[in-house]
Amino acid sequence: METYQENLNVFLDLSVVLTDFSSYELQGTGQLEAYYSTIIDVIGESNMVEVLDAFTLAKTNANGNETELEKQIRIQLLSNDKLGPITRNIIKMWFIGNWYQLPNIWRETYGAYEKDETFVVSAIAYTEGLLWPTIGSHPPGAKAPGYATWIDAPQISKV
Amino acid sequence: MKKILTNFNEANNQHIYNMRHKQKVVDHKTALNKEYDAVIVGSGISGSIVAKELSQKGYSVLILEAGPGKDLTISGYEKYINQFYSAVSKDNNAPYKRNPNAPMPRSVDVKKLEPGKPNTDSYLVQNGPFISDFTYSRVVGGTTMHFESKTPRMLPEDFNILTRYGHGLDWPMEYEDLMPYYRKAEFEMGVSGDVSSQTFSNEKAYEDDYVFPMLEMPPSYLDQCVAKDLDGTEINVAGETKTLKIRTFPQGRNGIPNNDYKKFNNGELFKPVGAVSEHQAEEGERCQGNNNCTPICPVQAKYDARKTLAKALENGGVDILPQTVASRVVIDPVTQKVSAIVYKSYEDINSEKHTTGTITANLFILAANAVENARLMLASGLNGSSDLMGRNLMDHPYILTWALLPEVAGTTRGTICTSGISDIRNGDFRKEQAAFAVDIHNDGWGWATGSPNTNLEDIVDNKNKFGKELRNELVHQISKQLLLANMVEMMPEPSNRITVDPKYVDRLGNPRPIVTMHLPEYTMKGIAFARQMSRQIFQRLGAEDYSTYSTEDYGYVEYKGEGYAIRGGNHLAGTHVMGTDPSNSVVDANQKSWDHSNLYLVGAGSMPTIGSSNTTLTMAALCFKSIDAMVNDLKELQASKQTSKQL
Repeated sequence: METYQENLNVFLDLSVVLTDFSSYELQGTGQLEAYYSTIIDVIGESNMVEVLDAFTLAKTNANGNETELEKQIRIQLLSNDKLGPITRNIIKMWFIGNWYQLPNIWRETYGAYEKDETFVVSAIAYTEGLLWPTIGSHPPGAKAPGYATWIDAPQISKV
Repeated sequence: MKKILTNFNEANNQHIYNMRHKQKVVDHKTALNKEYDAVIVGSGISGSIVAKELSQKGYSVLILEAGPGKDLTISGYEKYINQFYSAVSKDNNAPYKRNPNAPMPRSVDVKKLEPGKPNTDSYLVQNGPFISDFTYSRVVGGTTMHFESKTPRMLPEDFNILTRYGHGLDWPMEYEDLMPYYRKAEFEMGVSGDVSSQTFSNEKAYEDDYVFPMLEMPPSYLDQCVAKDLDGTEINVAGETKTLKIRTFPQGRNGIPNNDYKKFNNGELFKPVGAVSEHQAEEGERCQGNNNCTPICPVQAKYDARKTLAKALENGGVDILPQTVASRVVIDPVTQKVSAIVYKSYEDINSEKHTTGTITANLFILAANAVENARLMLASGLNGSSDLMGRNLMDHPYILTWALLPEVAGTTRGTICTSGISDIRNGDFRKEQAAFAVDIHNDGWGWATGSPNTNLEDIVDNKNKFGKELRNELVHQISKQLLLANMVEMMPEPSNRITVDPKYVDRLGNPRPIVTMHLPEYTMKGIAFARQMSRQIFQRLGAEDYSTYSTEDYGYVEYKGEGYAIRGGNHLAGTHVMGTDPSNSVVDANQKSWDHSNLYLVGAGSMPTIGSSNTTLTMAALCFKSIDAMVNDLKELQASKQTSKQL
């Protein structure tokens, strides 16, 4: 249980870096555990742990320097043929609520997992996608802003 | 009992009143033991209007609905919304589970035609040469469940376009004949809009001082961004100069009731119709801007035919039999009247188990949509004495054009569409080429490119962005999107048609519709012009044009050296065309069959032309117009039955 919570915390830290949303905002979606367990459910715990370990290494190497951390994320995760596609899936899951089937070359090399197909994690995952607040909007069909709000310029937070 | 009810407070009263429509979903035993004045096939807008009107005049009505009937409750409707949220493809029919017993076309099933053989993999058999991704819904409420609910009237000029411009067919009526029924339809659908912006006809199109029931949906910020730089642009169309102006469209969506409407509503303010429910529900009032009118409005602020159907069921004279697919229309060989409809009824969408039965009535009304009405008649061997059954199939082909504006325009907010360009809907140029209307899509490029998912995929997978850069790029790629949907007029041609073939049947053994369609030269000229006009618009706006049309696209059509990917408009019409006599048409001006005197075929299938107007409002007006003729027939049929009983 302790390991689970520790790993979840690392996953949250990683998600903050990948999405540029604060841990407060990410936890506010209620999807942290859902996404974490989706990854484990689809491709197994060892792959998840590998991603988290690579992130921990990236952080250690960056030693608190933000620019260096971005570089390390590219070195340890995004350009890694095994961990890159999983990392990109984590980003996309946060923004749109979908798990995307991993690329064919990944599946050929690291295994075609039975549950690895493109799907919406859940109805709530769709409505909690971070893409919508990013563009000052809301998911189509949910969280409507109210009559005539659409006549004004969108409120987009500068990042 | 009535007395007691009036003592209840309004909420309770409403509750009991609304509970009634649950009891109107009947079983086959009940239905077969009753004598109905009229049987209606289909619970979409046409069927629901006819059911409501006939029952209000005291006639008993049975509706046969092919789809499941559990969606007259809030919880049933919410199942649709959850199904939509959880669907990977969010196409028009995404809210509904696949139902092989009453299948419906889905755009995700469409594929490019291989030379020499029809596409037969999905419900619609497509012969080509043009492959359309048009859809419709076979559920309670019909295709209004996913329609966008744009409600422009047709123009007075559209009703005699053959005489005037030498194309298409003249209607067997004038615009004036339909005017009072347009008003009824606008009341029924709860139209929000601004009559003063509907000024593209040269003839009188509205009564003096007429206003729509509700004020116009306010134009989106995106509309305003486009209008400030585009209004006043002059366009040359076949030698005619047109000045463009961004205007709102009327739409069947709850907004703010218009005070000036009182004089068209017995002194009363229009009362918006809320969510369909068996219990009191505080939902379905004013539009909240869900940006999801198509495929499903989560709060029922958009009109759908269940709102009319619920009123029909509450009248007390209407029963509905869901999961009951009309299979064959039976004709009495002596009288040529319809004697019965044979149906196939299933228990479960996951099982082919079904029973077959026969329903009789005095009057029969087919209201299953332009494709399904024709399919049912043809499956019954009833091609019509004119051989026009299923022919003259029309739809509005769409050519989509898309660009990035130079500024953040707040795309993805508002109703799906608040405004557009209507200046090319009418003019002498129609001697040469098709008219069209242009929508500004508040939801952005989605229809054309699958945005915003495709943008996210591109930014993460190809542009290798994450964190801040990813967020900034999302804003840049999505919030500046402008998609123009050019909805082009298509004229009736007998060779564009629905047919059936015993080779192609669905799981219950009912023949599937076979579509044979090509896009006439007149329409292609309009499409090419619309594409070119979009270039001029983007040039004027300083917008980056991203429109591309792949030769691999199923809707790819070449014309004069340029290629276009055409999309279906779901405005299916013409398949049981109305006219002045049995040789030139299937039905008369009241949508009554020339061949079978107790049969009406209602809906857009009756329309001889569709101009550049979304078809639903006009088909609703036509149904209101047909009621008097139906009532006269019912009186005569009852009288002749009485006489034969006495003899």
